[in-house]
Amino acid sequence: MTTVSRRNLLQLMGATALSAGVLGGSALQVRAEAGELVIGGSLPLTGVFAFAGIAIERGIQDYIKIVNDAGGIAGRQVRLAYEDTGYKPDTSVAVFNKLTSQNDLNLYYGDSTAFAKTIAPELQRGGKILMGGASFASELNDPEAYPNLFMAGPDYSEMISILMEYIAAEKPGAKVVLVNSDSEFGRDPIESSRKKAADLGLEIAAEIITPPTAVDVSTEVLKLRRARPDYVIFHGYILAPLPEFMSQAKQMGLDTKFMGTFWSMDSSIWADVGETADGFMGVMPYRYYYDDEPAPMLDTIRQMRPEYQATGYTQGMITAMVLLESARRVIEAGQEMTAPALKAAMNTITDFDTGGLIGVPISIPGNSIPVGRVYQYSAAEQKMLPVSDWIKVGG
Amino acid sequence: MIIGTAKETYRADEALLTTRPQQVWMAVLLAGLAVLPFTFNAYWTYLACLVLINVIAATGLNVLTGFTGLVSLGHAAFMAIGAYTVAWLERDIGTPLLLNLLAGGLLAAGIGVIVGLPSLRVKGLYLAIATIAASFILHFVFVEWTAVTGGSAGISLQPGTVFGVALVDYTQLYWLIMPICVLMVTGAANLFRNRIGRAFIAIRDRDISAEVLGIPILRYKLMSFALASFYAGVAGGLWAYFFRVVTPESFPLLTSIFLLAAVIVGGMGTILGGVIGALFMTLVPELLRFGVELLGPVIPNAGLILSPVRTIVFGALIVGFLVFEPQGLTEIVQRIRRFFRLWPFRT
Repeated sequence: MTTVSRRNLLQLMGATALSAGVLGGSALQVRAEAGELVIGGSLPLTGVFAFAGIAIERGIQDYIKIVNDAGGIAGRQVRLAYEDTGYKPDTSVAVFNKLTSQNDLNLYYGDSTAFAKTIAPELQRGGKILMGGASFASELNDPEAYPNLFMAGPDYSEMISILMEYIAAEKPGAKVVLVNSDSEFGRDPIESSRKKAADLGLEIAAEIITPPTAVDVSTEVLKLRRARPDYVIFHGYILAPLPEFMSQAKQMGLDTKFMGTFWSMDSSIWADVGETADGFMGVMPYRYYYDDEPAPMLDTIRQMRPEYQATGYTQGMITAMVLLESARRVIEAGQEMTAPALKAAMNTITDFDTGGLIGVPISIPGNSIPVGRVYQYSAAEQKMLPVSDWIKVGG
Repeated sequence: MIIGTAKETYRADEALLTTRPQQVWMAVLLAGLAVLPFTFNAYWTYLACLVLINVIAATGLNVLTGFTGLVSLGHAAFMAIGAYTVAWLERDIGTPLLLNLLAGGLLAAGIGVIVGLPSLRVKGLYLAIATIAASFILHFVFVEWTAVTGGSAGISLQPGTVFGVALVDYTQLYWLIMPICVLMVTGAANLFRNRIGRAFIAIRDRDISAEVLGIPILRYKLMSFALASFYAGVAGGLWAYFFRVVTPESFPLLTSIFLLAAVIVGGMGTILGGVIGALFMTLVPELLRFGVELLGPVIPNAGLILSPVRTIVFGALIVGFLVFEPQGLTEIVQRIRRFFRLWPFRT
């Protein structure tokens, strides 16, 4: 009988790890085919943000397939080169360096605010890459400080502005409570929210900060009861602790309306919450998969994927759409594919039709697409239904 | 006892490298470090820099946990102190880079002494919890002291400069990080050739006995905390120059756990252990990435499907090494050394 000693096992483990690296190293030379356009991607396929990363990857891939089937970008085929980051900024940077050493990249998708801020100096130094991504951080919506970045939607401050515009129209002078997670993501729009509320004549009745994954929120709900707000705007969460807030508030007899921002607005995450989720509102820059308003791109998506696609999917698709449209404009103008040329081309996008994914023609004068719409969750239909028209904010 | 290495002086007996092969391998290592940026592309140079920063931080933690026996889960917070100090000095004061790094290390050491005070009364898990609590307090300071730390958005830095040269690419940064890393690891190795290091080990092995032997526990425990925090502070400072943005979320609790895991996997209580542990923990996930890439032609969309598998394999490797090599990876190196010491007479 053959026995495996401790030493053999360790040798095997070490050899496996090493050979994966060494043999893999030889596979490094994955070069782009001639004329191919490559979108690089630091995507979170594992970790806390994997739910979004997987959907984003699918959205980008599907858009690339649509483009390639239609002949590519000015005759050039498009490919996505991506790797998992685990939603860790240092790993995202490693992936960026790996992909840029393997491919001639001009277009990139980054997975987080931290990564975008970290890689921004390198993007400026290289002067080759235009980058979109999963972050809607207000700080990044500054073309002077971050000339190589953009976001496929409104930034977080603009999202809150859209919600407040809606509130001001529905109930002038309404009392609003802001609930933000204690993270860079959560604290992002607090300052601008105060200013916007003052401009619109809304009263900020309280500001509550909770840990990002708070479970027991009874103390915070008591603050809500004292404040008796008309609206509560959550930001900096995906789902928890929103259902707990809403459930306890309902038990206390509050008739407050609860709102959220983009990453809390996928209908699939609310489907399991049940009746408590009914009436939850929020801002969404895109149409949902099941929206029945005329949208040829949604029809195409539904043909390609008969099952529901999350909002991350649409976000990935629109990011790829903007990246490739910018590339198309640069190629057609006969310019060299540099970051300044790509960004300038992107900023020429005016009244652009996204095939109905965004309900109005879009323009990208800066780093964001400052448009969105308020949707409300129907527990009976398990869908987000539009309750406002498309609202444009900012310059 | 190593045969064939008779020493004629105490000085020779206490040398860091006592045998010819050790000296040769060290020369090879240093030569390798010197030529590395000329042979590696940006990706591998980036990883080399990251490894070196982690080696400094892990070596510091090894001094505290491996050599002195004081468990800390607040090491990342000390890195953050170093990073914020460097970022603030660079942004607001404009002092020279090396002075900033030194200041980052010293401030971290000073705060490390305060955080280390509970170590006089508590040990083990209790001390680990106390250090976590300290890191929460520091996190609160980083978020709320907006004037200095930039609050939630943190501080973005301009590239550091040395002798008028801006350190903008990874190769330039490597020439800053590598020598500092070599210097600090050598310093840590030297520490255990003198009274201080031996006092740390005595405290780890039995603190009461150490006190009976005349070692002032208070002084040496706090000194260990200060040294470990200094290493973390310098590593954090280098991290700040490397990534050029520091936020309260740059150094989460997970980083402390990562460093502790590096020390344990590498081998507690040996300088080589901290180095190998940091190397393993930083590089293996990246090497496994190439394994996924190799399967790309066989499995469509391998990146999406196999990424979770890569994480599982990495976790399994750590568990495997802990179970089958509890002394750490450094024990494998020792075994190889013993093998060649007697080769070819015994295998």
